[in-house]
Amino acid sequence: MTALIHEPELAPGPAAPPRRRRRRRLDLGIRLLLVACVGLVAVGSVVPLVAVLAAAFGPEALPRYARFFSSPVDLTILRNTLVLGGLVGLCGTALGFLFAFVQTRLAVPGKRILHVVALVPIVSPPFAVATATVVLYGRRGVISNGLLGLEYDIYGLDGLVFVLSLSLFPVAYLGLLGMLRGLDPALEEAAMNLGASRWRTLRTVILPLLAPGLVAPFLLLFVEAIADLANPLVLGGDYTVLASRAYLAVTGEYDTTSAAVYCVILLVPSLGLYVAQRYWLNRKVRTTITGRPSGSVHLIDNWVRWPIFGLALLAAALIVSIYGTVLLGSVTRVFGVDNTLTLEYLREVVAGVGREAVLDTVMFAALATPIAAVFGLVIAWLVVRHLRRAAGLLDLAGTLGVAVPGTVLGIGFVLAYRPERWLGPVEVFPSLVGGSAIAGGAAAIVVAYVIRSLPAGQRTAVAALTQIHPQIEQASTDLGAGPLHTFRRVTLPLMRPALLTGLSYSFARSMTSISTIVLLVTPETKIITSQVLSAASTGRYGVAFAYCTVLTAIVLAAFALIRLIVGAGANLNRVATDNERPKR
Amino acid sequence: MTVVVPDLAVAESAGAGTGRLRLEALTKTFASRTGTVTAVDAVDLDVSPGEFITLLGPSGCGKTTTLRMVAGFEDATSGQIRLDEKVIDSMPPQRRPMAMVFQSYALFPHLTVGENIAYGLRLRRRSREEVATSMRMALTSMNLVGLEDRSPHELSGGQQQRVALARALVVQPKVLLFDEPLSNLDAKLRGSMRAEIRRIQRMFEITSIYVTHDQDEAMSMSDRIVVMNQGRVEQVAVPGEIYLRPASVFVADFIGRANFIEVVPESVSDGRAVVHALGQRLTAAAHPTVSANDDNAYLMARPETMKLTPVTDGRTGIGVVLRSTFHGPAVDYEIETTSGTLAVTDPGADPREALAEGTNVNVRIDPDRAYLLTRD
Repeated sequence: MTALIHEPELAPGPAAPPRRRRRRRLDLGIRLLLVACVGLVAVGSVVPLVAVLAAAFGPEALPRYARFFSSPVDLTILRNTLVLGGLVGLCGTALGFLFAFVQTRLAVPGKRILHVVALVPIVSPPFAVATATVVLYGRRGVISNGLLGLEYDIYGLDGLVFVLSLSLFPVAYLGLLGMLRGLDPALEEAAMNLGASRWRTLRTVILPLLAPGLVAPFLLLFVEAIADLANPLVLGGDYTVLASRAYLAVTGEYDTTSAAVYCVILLVPSLGLYVAQRYWLNRKVRTTITGRPSGSVHLIDNWVRWPIFGLALLAAALIVSIYGTVLLGSVTRVFGVDNTLTLEYLREVVAGVGREAVLDTVMFAALATPIAAVFGLVIAWLVVRHLRRAAGLLDLAGTLGVAVPGTVLGIGFVLAYRPERWLGPVEVFPSLVGGSAIAGGAAAIVVAYVIRSLPAGQRTAVAALTQIHPQIEQASTDLGAGPLHTFRRVTLPLMRPALLTGLSYSFARSMTSISTIVLLVTPETKIITSQVLSAASTGRYGVAFAYCTVLTAIVLAAFALIRLIVGAGANLNRVATDNERPKR
Repeated sequence: MTVVVPDLAVAESAGAGTGRLRLEALTKTFASRTGTVTAVDAVDLDVSPGEFITLLGPSGCGKTTTLRMVAGFEDATSGQIRLDEKVIDSMPPQRRPMAMVFQSYALFPHLTVGENIAYGLRLRRRSREEVATSMRMALTSMNLVGLEDRSPHELSGGQQQRVALARALVVQPKVLLFDEPLSNLDAKLRGSMRAEIRRIQRMFEITSIYVTHDQDEAMSMSDRIVVMNQGRVEQVAVPGEIYLRPASVFVADFIGRANFIEVVPESVSDGRAVVHALGQRLTAAAHPTVSANDDNAYLMARPETMKLTPVTDGRTGIGVVLRSTFHGPAVDYEIETTSGTLAVTDPGADPREALAEGTNVNVRIDPDRAYLLTRD
């Protein structure tokens, strides 16, 4: 994502109407949209965040810092968190690079399938990977113990790094894939032509050029890994991290002050690295300097490709084994032990006690998805096209939903929206979270879904918008269309692919969101992911797998539905590149 | 991954008398949805050491594919490439003693100008002093002194072009390859870079293959031009011959502007034919395929080799001025005749005295610069 902001160029010449000179006066419709976006972001992430900060810097909280930094237990938790983030960042980025390299530079068969396998974890319901990993590779694991006779203790750092790297690497993969594809092949040819071997070309040309590209996914994975709550709960064992510690403080100890303190300590690296990551991405991307990319990519076709390919296949096999286990686990009595087929678990989820959770979750996600996608699009449009100084701020505010760890956001919701707000005898703001919340806390859950899934759509939209030459929109304005009309008639149709991605991502993220939601569910509102958590932590793996399978099926069905409604859309790349490249 | 130490002994200094490049029936076919496409069709070419050869043709004629086969970026489907009599077909690009200047320059954006130039030298494990010396020479000869610590994107297009050339030159290749290197520069800069490239190439006497679709560029730079069309070589000749003795209608039409007048040669002997054209009987050179009473022949005459004389006192001439256009250095006329519409250029004409539209004129062809060829 690049947030290059195109200064709206004024119409040339003295013929420009004088009102254009009164710059900074935004169109009324745009101002309304801006207010709506700011309102959503304020309610959804700024207020909860402020609530956390207020609690964390309240008078009773201050002594907790001294205790934190003098307590070996707490310091170990902090170290655990950072080590986990660093390792997942490294492994995930390396895995992403491996898959991207195989995809773009190796002459091997089956690359399409490998691509699909690499994308599977995007839709992964939380716990699915962790639970399946325990079943397959745990102490009594089907593969580790049953096949290899090992007694490997998967709980702890090793298991977490394994599971988180596998679940998060697709982000790195997609980013690096785009970069490797965007590299002018002539650069590699130039190196080869000057006498560099393939290995030398990789080392002296490809990797240095990709270095900025490697830093961004590393930081992003770092942030996501330290924010993750689901996997430490299932797989952490006695390896405690800040997110799970804060969660326990709220749900087990009812100590919101300590929770807020843990949150702030978690926030520092999360926000810091998230901002660092954005900085990296916003730097001028160094690809080709002049001219059109020329030449063709030379695929590696000697024996070297096989070990690399083998490594990627191994990773792919792990992914397939894990997701296969989820599927098989949902239709067998105890997968690996008693492989009798049974529909009992699926029936429980679809027709039994799980029915309510499934319906609630789908309804909330279906409500949140269009809101998130539209807001993502609108924020992107405002950021790229209409705002100047405030653009960076709004862009950052919109992506707070991923920058702030879900647990922190959830605790913020609890702190900000659980108590009713009274002004004298009048209740001005009802409780939104907790047992006495209106609509069983549904409102808070939908807002949390929107905030958590907004950034995905926003980022795709920003990327897509920066690709559309502003002159296309200027042409529409020039013909007399107002900015909103232009957006609806020109920009939006061009961004249909981005909208499609935004909607799909938003829905998938909502459906699989856990770390915020787990703090917001009430007895009246059940959410699939929190059901999975309770099933997995009580050892009812069959039910957990059944939930995951149903969830995945719903997400895939929704993808198809969204595609049907929005339409696949015109190929944006063509429009963009035709305008960016110099004419001959 | 393996570390292949390139056999750079081959790539050592060129020196005089080496760098003879021969393409023998070089062919490249691509599989496409509808079958196979022949991009390069049995191209034969013999390039002498130190010669500057241009591959010229419209886009899709196979010139770039030919160049990339020479560089080793594409494998030939059949045929051979010989460098100093040694077949190099199976030699990977990094071991061929050649250096290429790319259309996009392909400067490494993460390296400085100096590091870009030194890239190939370091690969050849030159000592620090040698690298410094060669680099200083390259910087001086390419007018880049003082820019060595800049990033490529801080340079102008022309400077980037010179860095690309310097980077290719310092490894002392036996063959220099150019892939439309000037197409990203503006017209004025292109002119000076042409001279610059030619000067450097002459100075080091490096065999050069230059791909372009710009006929001006080909004319002004080349020792010989190879005109290609649809994967085949149409003609290989020095620029003057390409221009005035084109081997085919395609060549005549592609290079410059040409008038084709249908004629039936009366007689042909010793490569000269007698024809009637535009009321004029003339003897002109003829392509070997032209024979007497051939009803498939064209007389090719360039616009600037024809002269117009206005016919006054009410008589009709051989043609009528249809349109006149002033171009600065010349006035272009379109003349309607019974042999079709002709283009005639009057260089150095005073635009105020240009012939008015509708003027009756006679046309005289300069027989020394006209040429007879067979229709395709």
